[in-house]
Amino acid sequence: MNARQNLGRRAEQAAVEHFERAGWRVLGRNVRIGRGEIDIIMRRGSTLVFAEVKARATTVCGSPEDAVDARKRRQVARLAELWLTVHPRALEHIEDVRFDVVAVDASCVPLRIRHLPAAFTRDL
Amino acid sequence: MLARIDSAALAGLEGSAVTVEADVVAAAPAFSIVGLPDAAVQESRERVRAAIVNSGFEFPSRRITVNLAPADLRKEGPSFDLPIALAFLLATKQVEAGGSAHGSLAAVGELGLDGVLRSVPGVLAIAESLRRRGLRGVLLPSANAAEASLVRGLEVYAVDNLRQAVRQMACGGEGALAPADVGALLAAVNSGGPDFTDVRGQEHVKRALEIAVAGAHNVLMSGPPGSGKTMLARRLPTIMPELTVDEAISVTRVHSVAGLLLPDAPLVTRRPFRSPHHTISSPGLIGGGSSPRPGEVSLAHLGVLFLDEFPEFRLAALEGLRQPLEEGEVTISRRLTSVTYPARLMLVAAMNPCPCGYRGDRERECVCPAHRLRQYASRLSGPLMDRIDLHLDVPRLNPQVRHAARTPESSATIRARVAQARARQLARAGATGALANAHLDAPSLRRVCRLDAECTALLDRAYDRLRLSARACDRVVKVAQTIADLDGAPSISPAHLAESLSYRQRGTAHGE
Repeated sequence: MNARQNLGRRAEQAAVEHFERAGWRVLGRNVRIGRGEIDIIMRRGSTLVFAEVKARATTVCGSPEDAVDARKRRQVARLAELWLTVHPRALEHIEDVRFDVVAVDASCVPLRIRHLPAAFTRDL
Repeated sequence: MLARIDSAALAGLEGSAVTVEADVVAAAPAFSIVGLPDAAVQESRERVRAAIVNSGFEFPSRRITVNLAPADLRKEGPSFDLPIALAFLLATKQVEAGGSAHGSLAAVGELGLDGVLRSVPGVLAIAESLRRRGLRGVLLPSANAAEASLVRGLEVYAVDNLRQAVRQMACGGEGALAPADVGALLAAVNSGGPDFTDVRGQEHVKRALEIAVAGAHNVLMSGPPGSGKTMLARRLPTIMPELTVDEAISVTRVHSVAGLLLPDAPLVTRRPFRSPHHTISSPGLIGGGSSPRPGEVSLAHLGVLFLDEFPEFRLAALEGLRQPLEEGEVTISRRLTSVTYPARLMLVAAMNPCPCGYRGDRERECVCPAHRLRQYASRLSGPLMDRIDLHLDVPRLNPQVRHAARTPESSATIRARVAQARARQLARAGATGALANAHLDAPSLRRVCRLDAECTALLDRAYDRLRLSARACDRVVKVAQTIADLDGAPSISPAHLAESLSYRQRGTAHGE
């Protein structure tokens, strides 16, 4: 595992702990679908969230959420559709489905986590 | 959860029924609009989303599908913003339609990002179509509401923003606008501005213009620069009969679709006077564009189209005038659509007799070489000139003549005579639907305008001697009828016919 992968793992771990403290139930982490991967799938109440975690060791190259570009958004949205097709029961008692971005600033300790709910939709 | 709101799209001058359906389900979030929307309708998503959030409503993260039915009609422009937003709020149960026992309310309007409602074009035609569909009422931007209140039998609710629209939706509509009294609006017109008393001399031209207006005939004035052609033309609306209620509505419909109505003047109360510059393109004059819009001929409907420097107009534009001049309407066909706009206009053209402007002048010599003269004259085609009933020479007057002229008649005096002549025409035309003699078609012309033996013989002689076309003959009779109407005569006399013939095109008259 190289340093960058390590950073990603640490960020995801921090994000999961953050959400579990906030009452979210994590349904899956690093869910592989075909060649793609969804970082976190979680629900709370009637809301189902597909979250993309993005970490940056420094803010020199812009903020983490800027790195979730149009291509990445399309990919996450497509993977989510696939996942919902395979797991139709996941939508039971669900009203809202969201795509969130979790921006992790790893330039400090402890890691700073910013949650951007409904960061994008399938139509961009 | 599914919800529907009635709305309408413009197809030419007609409103066409559109139902906005919104379906909101729990699935991967997306907001899509289907039903043949154009770019402005696609962008509606961004305006609706922002307007909803900024008006204090929720925009939940769900799959939103908006359908504009019927799906085969092309939808254009931002006027679906309001019905889309309302259908969405109904579908997400953020508002419940009240008073639905009496029938639902339709909605039309463009939204700003803050939820403010902006005006849209063609509201009169849209409101008429909603009433024909039997809908109870409509929510409209305040700037458009007065215009819609011209339509009887439709409740009109003026709203300034999305929140007000939601409140009206919830209570089923409160405080509908009082229907506008078109007659009163027309009666309130103050006739100010230019007047025929300003024009000294040129009595024969004024006489001819009076005839032209009385029968809605087409005129070509030819004269040197500064002889008063434009001055005379600009005063024509002041001697035209006032618009009737139906005419005012008909003119307003066209101007509304063209987006030319002002919010404080929802009804066009004066006859239009359009004077496009001679560089105008053919679609600009006749109407057109990939999504057709009315051109100047339609904006001049029931009024005057003044074309100054007539031969300088583009040939395509001039020849395009033929259909509207003959049929009183213009049909624009495109791959997907074909629309017809009314164009019952009176053409008033003005030109110099030659490129330098002084051919035939008493004091100044024309310096045009012969080939330039031919070139200039050839720009006006025979078929086009054939459609012009009165050819007038407007000479330059020297100051002595002008000062010696008697005090000119006021526009009001002339208009009274014109109105009487028009009244006779209307009474005679009856069921033909012609508003003026110029609008009579061939069969009704034969029925309405009877020529006695003497007149028939005169016309037959003129037909041979002046080489008139069959169309020109009909037009000569129509002008003669108008002269008889101004005269208060029961039928056309040889004198009326002779005066009418004197206005025919000179070149043909001399058999050149």
